[in-house]
Amino acid sequence: MNYKPDESLLISYMYGELQGEEKQRVERYLAEHPETLKELEAMAFVREVMKKNPDKEVIAPPIVFDDRKTRYFWQTPFGRSLIGVAASFAFILLIGKLTGLHVSYTNQTLTVSFGVPKEQPVLVAESEPSSLTTNAVQDMIDQSLNRHNAALQTQWMETQQKLDQSIKSNLANRSDADFNRLVQKVSAASEDQIRQFALTLQAENASMIKDYMTLNSTDQRKYMEELLIDFAKYLEQQHRNDLQVLQARLNNIEQDTDLFKHETGQILSSIISSVDQSTSLTKN
Amino acid sequence: MHAETLQDMALMHSDTLIERARQGDKNAQGRLVQVWYKRIYNYCFRFFLDHDLAMEASQKAFISMCRNIEALQDAGRFKSWLYKIAVNSCREEARKMKGARAVSFDVVVNADGEDSPGWEQTGRRNENPERQYQQQELAELLQQCLMELSVEQREVVIMKEYEGLKFREIAEALNISENTVKSRMYYGLDALKRILEKRKITRETVSYEL
Repeated sequence: MNYKPDESLLISYMYGELQGEEKQRVERYLAEHPETLKELEAMAFVREVMKKNPDKEVIAPPIVFDDRKTRYFWQTPFGRSLIGVAASFAFILLIGKLTGLHVSYTNQTLTVSFGVPKEQPVLVAESEPSSLTTNAVQDMIDQSLNRHNAALQTQWMETQQKLDQSIKSNLANRSDADFNRLVQKVSAASEDQIRQFALTLQAENASMIKDYMTLNSTDQRKYMEELLIDFAKYLEQQHRNDLQVLQARLNNIEQDTDLFKHETGQILSSIISSVDQSTSLTKN
Repeated sequence: MHAETLQDMALMHSDTLIERARQGDKNAQGRLVQVWYKRIYNYCFRFFLDHDLAMEASQKAFISMCRNIEALQDAGRFKSWLYKIAVNSCREEARKMKGARAVSFDVVVNADGEDSPGWEQTGRRNENPERQYQQQELAELLQQCLMELSVEQREVVIMKEYEGLKFREIAEALNISENTVKSRMYYGLDALKRILEKRKITRETVSYEL
């Protein structure tokens, strides 16, 4: 008898799940093996004792379930995050719209501005350098000069007209007023007054001539004196010079005479010596 | 001992109720919770020997049941399916408990239960408060013996002895073969026999109860 039921078979037998041939085989085995039967009985006792541990009474607590079917996309954490990002983006767009924020990227230039960006004239000039030629600049300068000249011309004309008008008005006023005034004075002046005026004029002229003559005579006298003195000094100086010249001449003559004497003496001596020599020669 | 309860459950867990719950009927799902809560709670309590952990695990199990019942294919396998959820919930709580290193107060209080054999006294099983206390003490002692089993053996013993599941249903709940279930049952009962002997719980000492 090599038959030996395994643990699962013994458990099935113990729980009454075996039937027919299998059950009989196990029963025969247990009859032949009382130690296994004893084990099963001990296990049955354990099952019996363990049933002395009754259930605990408990009341089911209210369990509230969230209905997942009514949980829409925007109620999920991801949906909420997505809506948050979208709301932030919309808010930024609204602020940008209200503040007129303008962001553009053209010609490698990022432009951020509030409102419509202004054109950059410098950049336009740099980007189109051939738009202004030399002739165009010359024309612009000519036009500017013409305008300036025209303005100056008109201004000068106006000034000229004003001057003419003022001169004419002054002349007209002067002729009328002065002539009237002179005529009135002449007509108002009497003969005596004219005579007295002439006398005073004569007296003044006489005194003035007298003073002039006196002043003139004194000055002339001084001048003549100084002139005579100077002439005398001149004569004296001239005389002195002449004397010096004479003296010098005399000295020269004296020197010449001495020289002459000396030369004469030399000549005489030479003649004498020559004579002496000739005579000696002759004597020899 | 569970005759009335099981009969009641048999009525309640009719295919109609489960079918309505599968179709999203909240009332039917709530009814299922009420019917099965005591069973699942007691399974969890015997697994943990801790009321709070049992409440936590059983509530999570029922939340999971209501969320996933629409995916249940066969209403006839509802019982094993529900216990599978309970088993997973208990294992998850056990993992958390191991991380938290918490010790049940009940375990601490009754650590020296074997040295106070007050329940060994004989007498009539009447409405005697002392008698009731003795029975309660025996129950707690047996519960502690159950806690000394390994998790695998404990799961099988509880499901078979206290929940009345068939071996096939236990195998489905634990996702193992029937033979493995029976083998675990055999060794679980054998281990319990030695534990009881160690705690001096023999046929003689509890003869008054049997």
